[in-house]
Amino acid sequence: MTELLLEGKEITVTFGRGAEAFDAVRAASVTVSGGEAIGIVGESGSGKTTLARVLVGLQRPSAGEVRLEGEPIFSAQNEQRMPRSERWKTQMIFQDPYSSLNPRMRVWQAVAEAVQVWHNLPKAAARQEALRLLQTMGISDDQARQFPKSLSGGQRQRVSVARALAPGPKVLIADEPTSSIDQSAQAQLLNLLRRLQTEQGLAIIFISHDLGLVRYLTSRVYVMQKGDIVETGETQAVMEQPQHPYTRLLIDSIPGRGNGTG
Amino acid sequence: MQDLCIGFRKRGGRLLPVIDAANLSLDPRQAVGIVGESGSGKTMLCRALIGTLARHGAEITAGTVKFGGLDLVAASERVWRGIRGREIGYIPQSSLAGLNPVLTVETQLVESITATGPLSRRQARDKAVELLERVRIPRAPQVLNARGHQLSGGMRQRVMIAAAIAQAPKLLIADEPTTALDVTIQREILSLITQLRHELNMALVLVSHDLAVIEDVCDEVMVMYAGASVESGPVAALSTTPRHPYTRALRVSRVDRAVPGQDLEAIPGDAASVGSWPPGCRFWPRCSHADEECRRDPHPVLMPVGRQLSACIHAERLVLGEQPPAVAGRDDGAPQRQ
Repeated sequence: MTELLLEGKEITVTFGRGAEAFDAVRAASVTVSGGEAIGIVGESGSGKTTLARVLVGLQRPSAGEVRLEGEPIFSAQNEQRMPRSERWKTQMIFQDPYSSLNPRMRVWQAVAEAVQVWHNLPKAAARQEALRLLQTMGISDDQARQFPKSLSGGQRQRVSVARALAPGPKVLIADEPTSSIDQSAQAQLLNLLRRLQTEQGLAIIFISHDLGLVRYLTSRVYVMQKGDIVETGETQAVMEQPQHPYTRLLIDSIPGRGNGTG
Repeated sequence: MQDLCIGFRKRGGRLLPVIDAANLSLDPRQAVGIVGESGSGKTMLCRALIGTLARHGAEITAGTVKFGGLDLVAASERVWRGIRGREIGYIPQSSLAGLNPVLTVETQLVESITATGPLSRRQARDKAVELLERVRIPRAPQVLNARGHQLSGGMRQRVMIAAAIAQAPKLLIADEPTTALDVTIQREILSLITQLRHELNMALVLVSHDLAVIEDVCDEVMVMYAGASVESGPVAALSTTPRHPYTRALRVSRVDRAVPGQDLEAIPGDAASVGSWPPGCRFWPRCSHADEECRRDPHPVLMPVGRQLSACIHAERLVLGEQPPAVAGRDDGAPQRQ
């Protein structure tokens, strides 16, 4: 957790033009060190997913730049996409494991494809590597031969993680990774992600509206509201002594706190 | 409404059971939560309660459902028309799909309002405004002219609630009413449902996959796993002394109670899916307490244990306490036998 790995500097993303234009993200700065787990929390429309898409090179910022290991790799000025030589370092898993896997590809093929793209391995070796990755995610060889539709949501999300890990990334961005899977499968996935971070030194950015998840998994947190980062700090400090009223509202809204709904 | 016991199967050439041991009883004005994972049968149970199973190719194959003195299993579509909306209101899972995009809120609300009898346009509109105000929608007259897509998720859900309570039903069924909503909106909708329940003296069946939501809103809870009720009783009893290993697992695997830096206590394996239920207790393949006896058919029935009912045959001798998060560092989260 020492050196700065990924940095988003003063990132602004504007959608639309003229009178229609609005800032999905406004001058947001985020840093992640190697092996660190951070959280970005906020509600739908707060800009957290857009910010994450900029950080992995899927969305060009309107202003600001993304630095990876100190080098500027992606910015508003530069017309190019994030260079391929850098792209493998940041990988992302998405909210919906149902739509993020090709339904006509067997599970192992989906992972082997990513292995081949990034490692240029022959087919047989890519298959071996895919099966190994899936195994570490608790997907058996038998399940790996299935199509995604015969797996549960939790299993599919673990397949997505295996695929994201194929290039051996340094940062994994997890965008609401548990929101569409069952609770008993959530714990399995979160344990896996936590182990990747603590044991293999993978930096993880958790995007979530769930402060409970962020509290459990991250050491630092950014709170976003309507495109702005309104509060940031050590997760524990933010949870115990929120400074911004919006953060307080988010904390009070966590179910199970007997907060006047009953 | 008492002792609801239904079993039904889905048609697909042959009969495929999706719920085969669901038990639920509800007194007037009581709030009961149904918690379970996807595939546990909670949505089908709701459909049984509003008589729309047939539309989804399902039917009740055994058991009884009684509402007041009325037998709902035998109820004809004509009888259902008098109950649905009037006696039993329903808030569907997806408020996005619940509103017709080409009709205004007014048209759709008036439809619910005039279901019992014709009203003049003026009267119906006034009633619609009153309903929207009842669900705390500001600027109700403007909202009446809006169409679904012009409203936020929270607003749409309020409109759906307004339609559900138009006839002041005795029972309100809410199927995952806050699933797609942000936490802050979820909190608003849940407190709205609670307030309305008290104002209109309604009983409530709240379906959720989130035990925490149910604990905030309901008096009683029924836990479903793979088509069967596995535990039911007062919310307080289930949260302090769960009597079924699955209920306990649902509680301890919750991330909001986890200690940072420690593994969550995950339930191993995957939920039993419809069509491939194991014999005996359906939870045994994932249960650390399971023995030979658990694997024997039939599925155990709910039996009274303490203040609740449990379908675990070992319920009497299991101590399913939960280590409070305060004892961080002590690796004793595992349940122990007495």
